Amino acid sequence: MAEHYGDSLLEMFLFETSQNTEQLERIILDTEKAGKFSEEAINEIFRIMHTIKGSAAMMSFSNISTVAHKAEDLFYFIRENPSVEYDCSNITDIILSCMDYINSEMEKIKNNEEADIEGGEALIQRVERCLHEISGGKGVSRNKNTGTESKSAEKAADGEKVSKDEKSEKHSYQLTVFFEEGCGMENIRAFSIVRDMEDFADHIRFQPEDIVENNDTVFEIRKNGFKIFFDSAKTYQDIIEIFEKTPFVGSINLIETAKAERNQTQKGAKPEVKNGQKNGNKADKNDEHQSVQSLISVNVSKLDKLMDMVGELVIAESMVVENPDLSGLELPNFQREAQQLHKIINEMQDLVMSLRLVPLASTFQKTHRIVRDMTKKLGKEAEIRIIGEETEVDKNIIEHLSDPLLHLVRNCIDHGIESEEERIAAGKPPVGTITIEAYNAGSNVYVVVRDDGRGIDKNKVLEKAKRQNLLKKPESEMTDKEIYNLIFLPGFSTNETVSEYSGRGVGMDVVLKNILAIGGSLTVESEEGKGMAVIMKIPLTVAIIEGMGILVGNRRFTIPISAMKESFKPDPKDIFTDIYGNEMIMLRGECYAIMRLHKQWGIETEVTNLSDGILILVEQDDKRRCIFADKLIGEHQVVVKTLPELIKRIKTVEGLSGCTLLGDGSISLIIDAGWLVNTDIK
Amino acid sequence: MITVLVVDDAAFMRLAIKNVLEKNGFKVVADAKNGQEGIEKYIEYHPDIVTMDITMPDMTGIEALKKIREYDKNAKVVMISAMGQERMVKEAILNGAKSFIVKPYKEEHITQTLLKIAADK
Repeated sequence: MAEHYGDSLLEMFLFETSQNTEQLERIILDTEKAGKFSEEAINEIFRIMHTIKGSAAMMSFSNISTVAHKAEDLFYFIRENPSVEYDCSNITDIILSCMDYINSEMEKIKNNEEADIEGGEALIQRVERCLHEISGGKGVSRNKNTGTESKSAEKAADGEKVSKDEKSEKHSYQLTVFFEEGCGMENIRAFSIVRDMEDFADHIRFQPEDIVENNDTVFEIRKNGFKIFFDSAKTYQDIIEIFEKTPFVGSINLIETAKAERNQTQKGAKPEVKNGQKNGNKADKNDEHQSVQSLISVNVSKLDKLMDMVGELVIAESMVVENPDLSGLELPNFQREAQQLHKIINEMQDLVMSLRLVPLASTFQKTHRIVRDMTKKLGKEAEIRIIGEETEVDKNIIEHLSDPLLHLVRNCIDHGIESEEERIAAGKPPVGTITIEAYNAGSNVYVVVRDDGRGIDKNKVLEKAKRQNLLKKPESEMTDKEIYNLIFLPGFSTNETVSEYSGRGVGMDVVLKNILAIGGSLTVESEEGKGMAVIMKIPLTVAIIEGMGILVGNRRFTIPISAMKESFKPDPKDIFTDIYGNEMIMLRGECYAIMRLHKQWGIETEVTNLSDGILILVEQDDKRRCIFADKLIGEHQVVVKTLPELIKRIKTVEGLSGCTLLGDGSISLIIDAGWLVNTDIK
Repeated sequence: MITVLVVDDAAFMRLAIKNVLEKNGFKVVADAKNGQEGIEKYIEYHPDIVTMDITMPDMTGIEALKKIREYDKNAKVVMISAMGQERMVKEAILNGAKSFIVKPYKEEHITQTLLKIAADK
C-alpha cells in the first residue's frame, strides 16, 4: 500500500515537473525572441525553479533539486538586481541545459536508471560561473546580495580561481550536438565536426561510431544527437563559442565531466556507461511528450462546466422527446431514433461523470501519518489496514470526505483502541488494528472505518447524553442504533478528559454534517469489547441524481429517488390523529408520521384532503416518514445545481439541497432527504 | 559586404544561388560554369567565399577545391551537394571544404552557413 502511494506521488512529481519544464521552455523561448528577460519572466522562471527544487527535494532527488536551486539563485540575483547586465542568450542556454538535465533525469527515474550526478555537478558549476560573471564586475550589486546569493558568488569566485589555475590543464567534456532540421547528411557533418575538433581536442570518441561508413547513422543523430567525448585545454565558454560558429549546428549540450587527469584512470569503463545514460535531450523531450500526452491536467471548473452542459443536454433531450406537440402522434421512426439519442446521451453522461472520479488512495494514505503520530503520543500500538483504496469517487466528494475520515481514525485511536496492557488482559493481540475499507455498491460508495478496540459503551453514552440533555425519548425505548447515533450529536463527547487529538466535543457531529452535506448517510455498528465500525454511504457523484418530481400547490419539487420507498393514495380509514393533533398513518402494521409539505412551507394549495393527494414514504438513516404532496409528476434524472446565494441567505427556506431545471424548462427545488425525516412537523 | 563566387554547371542553380545571396546582402562578384573557370575567377576576384557544386563535368568540384586551396590555403569553399553524395562530401571535407549544403536547401541554410564561415577568421 505504501508503495502504491509512493508511486502515485512519484507520478504526480514527474507529471508536474515535466509540465513545469514545458512551461519554462515556453517562457524562455518567448524571451529569447524579445532579447531580454521581462520582470514577469524572471519571476516566473524563479518560481518554476523554486517549485521544482522543492518537490525534487521532497522526493529526495537531490541532483535535480540542487540544479534547480542553482538556477533559482541565478534568477534571484537577476530579480534583485534589475540593473545588472547579462548576456541573455547565454543565460537562456544555461537554463535550457538545466531543463534538459532535469528532463533527462526524470526519464531516468521513470526507467529506474542511475542518476547522472556528474552531469549535474558540471551544470551547477556552469550556473555558478555565469552568476559570478554577471555579479562579478559589479561590486555594488554584489553587496546587495543576501544569504545564498553571496555564498554562491563566493563559491563562483573560488571556481574562477581554480579554472585560472587549470588553464594549462585539460578538461574532459561530453558534448551532444543537434544539427538544424533539414540540413541533410548529418553523419558527414558530424564527421566534419570531429575533423575540426582535432585542432583543439584529443582523446576524441564519438557515438554513433560508424558515421562515415554507415549513412543510416543520420537517423540516430537526428534522434539522439551526435555525442562526442573529448579532452581539451579550452574552457567551457571557448568550446561553446566554437560550436556557435559552426554551420548547421542547431543546439548543443556541453557538459564538463571532470578534469582530464582525474578521469584518466577510469577512462576505459566510462564512455560506455555514459553512452547508455546520457540520451540526447531533444529526443528525450520528444519521448516525454508522447508519454505525457496520455495524461493532461484539466481545470476542474471546465469539467464542472462540461457536466453542466451534459445536464442541459439531458434536459434538452427530454424537452424534445416529450414535447407536447408530439402527443398523440404515431411516430415509430422518431421513437427509434430518439431511443438511440437517449442511449448516446446516457453513455456520454457516464463518461463525463467518470472524468471527475479520482481514487480514494491519497485520502486514505493521509491516515498513516495520523496513526503514527497519535500512537506515539498516546503510547498505544495500532496499525492501519487499507482495503479498496483504488475505489473512485467524484472529486467534490473526496474533498468532503477527507476531514470526516481523519476524524474517525483519530477517534478510533483515542477512544476505541485500548492500551497494550488492557488489550493483552482482554486476550487481544497487543497491536490494535484500524481497517479502512472502501467498496462500490450500485451508485454508492461505502467507506468503512473499523477498529478492534473496546467498542461503544452504551451505558456510558446514555449517561452522558442524559447529562447533556440530549435524550428525546425514554432510555428504555431506544434501540442500540439510536444510542450509537447519539455520539454524532453536536456537543456530545464521552471522553472525560479532552485530548489533543479528539474529544474536544466538536468532531463526531462534524463528521455527520460533512457526510450529510454530500448526500451521504452514516451508520454505526459496535460490539462491546470487540470494536466498532462507522459505515459511511456516499453517492458516487453529487452532480446528477435520480429524482421524483412532485407538485405542491403550483410549485415543483424533486425528492431523491434513493430516499423514496413507495408512494400511494391513502385509505382514509388508515389515517388517525393522536392526542396532540399529529397525523399518522398505519401502513402494513407500521405507524408513520405524516408531514404535509404545503403546511411545512406555507404553500397555498387546493389539495388539503389527504385522500386527494399522494403520500410518499421516505427513508433516510433508518428513519421513515410519510410526506404529503398534491401529486407526482414523474421520475427523471436531474442535474443538481447549488441554490443561488440569495436564496440560501433566506433563513426561512429550509430543507432544500439544491435546484434543477426540468424538461419543460421550469425550475424544481430538490428536497434534502435528511431534512424530510428529521425536521419537526408543523 | 561579403563577396561570393558561385561555381555551378547549371545556369539555373547559379541564378538561384545568386538571387538568394543578393537578396540577403551578399555580393556575388562572379560566377563560373565549370571547375577551370572557377579557379580563374577565384584568382581574378579573390572572393571571401566560394560556393562549389560538387559534381561538374570536366573538372569536379573537388578537383577545383584542391586547386583553389593550393593557390590560397585560406580559401573558404562551401560545397553544394545532393543527397547520396556522402562519400564525395567527405572527400571534400578532407580536402579543406569549410562546410557543405545539401540540395534541396532552404534559403537560410545558405545564408547562415556563409555568414558563419565568413565570420570565422
